[in-house]
Amino acid sequence: MAFKVIGENVLRVDGHTKVTGGAKYPADLALENMLYGKTLRSTKAHANFTIDTKKAENIHGVVGVLTAKDIPGKNCHGVLFKDHEAICESRVRRIGDPMAVVIAESERIAEKALESIEVAYEELAAVFDPEEAMKEEAPKIHGEDNTVFHFKIRRGNVDKAFEEAAVIVEDTYYTGAVDHAFLQPEAGIAYEEEDGTLTVIAATQYPHFDRMDIAGAMGMEEEEIRIINPAVGGAFGGREDLTLQIHLAVAAKKFKRPIKMVYDRKESFLAHCKRHPITMHCKTAADKDGKLLALKTRIVGDTGAYASWAVNVLRKAGVHITGPYEIPNVWVDSYAVYTNNPFAGAMRGFGATQPPIAHEQQMDRIAEKLGMDPFSIRRKNLFTLGSKTATEQVLRESVPLGRCLDALEAAMNEKPLPDENINYLEDLKERQAKKEGAWNEKNR
Amino acid sequence: MKTINLKINGRKRQIEIEENERLLDIIREGFHLTGTKEGCGEGECGACSVLLNGKLVNACMIMAFQAEDSEVITIEGLGENEKLDPIQQAFIDTGAVQCGFCTPGMVLSAKALLMKNPTPTKQEIRRGISGNLCRCTGYEKIVEAVELAAKRIAETD
Ligand code: FES
Ligand code: FES
Repeated sequence: MAFKVIGENVLRVDGHTKVTGGAKYPADLALENMLYGKTLRSTKAHANFTIDTKKAENIHGVVGVLTAKDIPGKNCHGVLFKDHEAICESRVRRIGDPMAVVIAESERIAEKALESIEVAYEELAAVFDPEEAMKEEAPKIHGEDNTVFHFKIRRGNVDKAFEEAAVIVEDTYYTGAVDHAFLQPEAGIAYEEEDGTLTVIAATQYPHFDRMDIAGAMGMEEEEIRIINPAVGGAFGGREDLTLQIHLAVAAKKFKRPIKMVYDRKESFLAHCKRHPITMHCKTAADKDGKLLALKTRIVGDTGAYASWAVNVLRKAGVHITGPYEIPNVWVDSYAVYTNNPFAGAMRGFGATQPPIAHEQQMDRIAEKLGMDPFSIRRKNLFTLGSKTATEQVLRESVPLGRCLDALEAAMNEKPLPDENINYLEDLKERQAKKEGAWNEKNR
Repeated sequence: MKTINLKINGRKRQIEIEENERLLDIIREGFHLTGTKEGCGEGECGACSVLLNGKLVNACMIMAFQAEDSEVITIEGLGENEKLDPIQQAFIDTGAVQCGFCTPGMVLSAKALLMKNPTPTKQEIRRGISGNLCRCTGYEKIVEAVELAAKRIAETD
């Protein structure tokens, strides 16, 4: 059998069900005798609380209200550290933390019953600025230290290089939190099978991690948990941490009926992680010809109330802060810090997306100071085959950055807007014609 | 409770509705046509797009009672028997489908556009689908798909 895939247009196997509306995302599923769950979420960023669910439980159509004491196993989950509580027991660390889950005969009843849950908050001092959070006297989010992670690079001698430099540019750059806003809000169904297996259907990026954390929270073996991943309506990193999975599992086991939960857009924003807001202080030096000599940088990433992938993200930011450039002397301190902000985790780029905001502006400003054009200064410093990165990695495979820059320069100088760009249009026409040919061939 | 009559995907149907139900709710829960999606519930994303009396609407922004005696077409109502609508086929062929959650709305939006304007320019296509968000951001291919569909429709007419 001959396979030919590389360089070919391959039709998606699920294309047909998706264009006809047949593809089933979790919110599209329904089981007989199903109950519905709705989550009560914290409105305070940092507080101790007590909760009284009696009134809600007495509402007609409500079958029960889950609180922390209903978690049969360990009340925790998390991709790196188990720092999330599946349902908070007595303390919330951010707006949106789950405090209770109403299970009812209909979505509307469950929703309405949320209002009847009585919560008494005792607010705690909160911290929203990661620089503040790193100080000794700052309120602590988990344990004794808000600094989750410190990544270092020490290469060459930056101080000496700064002394010898012809030009130094120093500034601080900030990026904000970003939400994935995947188009399908979180949803799922769970039910118990006849043999006691607990099945959870939810759109997820990590069925295996989900199974592990659900098993832990249920006090069950992983083999007793089955995760089904139906059609997933986008994720982009935002479905790596658990949201409703444990709630569904606990309720299905407790009430012995299938449970369905669907978040609306607002709850989706509250429930899942964000892209880390990062502050990057960079001091960059070059010689009179524009050759980079040194970079000293301090990077602080705000991971909010939970660590999620903070370690990996801030490590990656620390590695990528040099940009695709050779710099002989590099000093990096990259920190991930807990605050009471929405928690941050994986999102497209995983820590590689924020640093260009800093390193590319530094490049432009060095070029400006030296009277060089922005392309030449980059060409002078680009990684090429055989380059060593700041972490001493030797690049041995293809490094086509020069070509990329050439294409960029050509495109920018010819015509600024892609729509009016003649090459772009011709290229598109050509591609279109090729495709047409292929289709005619196939459909003949 | 109120009973309304409407035609959905060519069939006459009767349904009991609550006064606070949206057209989207009766489509998804009443008629079990789950191809129509809910992405935002407030008219921002277009995932719930359907044709109401031939016009593109966000089903989350229309109350169910407003659909009385109307004709509704959802994604399930496109194409004939086993044959896909040329727009659906073009979405598959150009790779305009990623996670697929925006796809039903996007296809119907393109349908509404091509019914009005069978030979749209790229700009007109972009404007035509501007009420539909694709968070997988495959807009380039979606525009290509609409162009291809327009071309194929013109060729068969
Ligand atoms: S769900 Fe109707 S526009 Fe988003
Ligand atoms: S294909 Fe995922 S939102 Fe458009």
